[in-house]
Amino acid sequence: MNVSKYLPLTETTFYIMLALRKAGHGYAVMQKVEELSNGRVRVAAGTMYGAIENLIKQKMIMSVPSEDSRRKMYQLSPLGLEVLALEIERLKSLVEVYQQIESEEA
Amino acid sequence: MRKFKVFADFKEEEAYLNEMAKKGYFLKKHSAFGFYHFTEGTPEELYYHVDYRKFKTQADFEDYLALFEDAGWRHVYGTKNSLNQYFLPKDGNADDDIFSTKDSAALRYKHLNKICYANVTVAIAYFIAVLIIYDFSLANIGFLTQGLWEMTGTLFWMAFFFELPFVLFRTAPVVLSLVMGIAYAVWGSKAKRIYSKMMEDEK
Repeated sequence: MNVSKYLPLTETTFYIMLALRKAGHGYAVMQKVEELSNGRVRVAAGTMYGAIENLIKQKMIMSVPSEDSRRKMYQLSPLGLEVLALEIERLKSLVEVYQQIESEEA
Repeated sequence: MRKFKVFADFKEEEAYLNEMAKKGYFLKKHSAFGFYHFTEGTPEELYYHVDYRKFKTQADFEDYLALFEDAGWRHVYGTKNSLNQYFLPKDGNADDDIFSTKDSAALRYKHLNKICYANVTVAIAYFIAVLIIYDFSLANIGFLTQGLWEMTGTLFWMAFFFELPFVLFRTAPVVLSLVMGIAYAVWGSKAKRIYSKMMEDEK
């Protein structure tokens, strides 16, 4: 499968996927994203639900058994992990290119 | 109190509900036929937010409601299949929003557009099916009594009123499907225009 078609990730999607490396329900993910981004990225409830729906459809996250009868638990799938790793590589290479140009100019 | 209203713009719908709350009318229910049911109370400044979604299962709907409640929203009205979901911020804050990205806020309009156009397709399919049944002649759904229009006096009126219910029974679905088809097409294209505009503004 061509994984690179999912890239680049939006900042919101990136943080949600990062938060879902460990299983969690929707609101836990909202809190985790805020914490990971030092309060810079805040995902609203409607946006969060839409993102979960979309990631499930793309099979990047999956629903896992939940102890809470109302709240579903989600976790990153193997595909999601792969996409996240690829995105990190992409971001790294961007930074590398920038640093190279900067050092050449110096 | 009941009011019939149809909105293609969720922002306008939210503003309408806020305005009604200011006059002391609070949303109790929104029916699938476009009726807003209000209860009367002391006027209040409220900030309604409307989401528009389809749910596959009751569990999905429960999960959705739990997420909104956890995030500080009170679910005012909406059922698993009602599409429209109405929320109020628990803290009454005017700045709270149920969307944090423009993309996700715009998606509501795309969903509305899709559902409207699906209903247009159903209306057209129904209309074509009726045409097939009546052999592509709309005359076949009108008055069928032989020589009706040559009759005179009481005989004519008796025959006319005898068949009238049958004619109405045959024509009403056709007229209704046409009217609904056109209404959904207008509604859906309005939603589509708003969606396109929102996505353009982002660039």
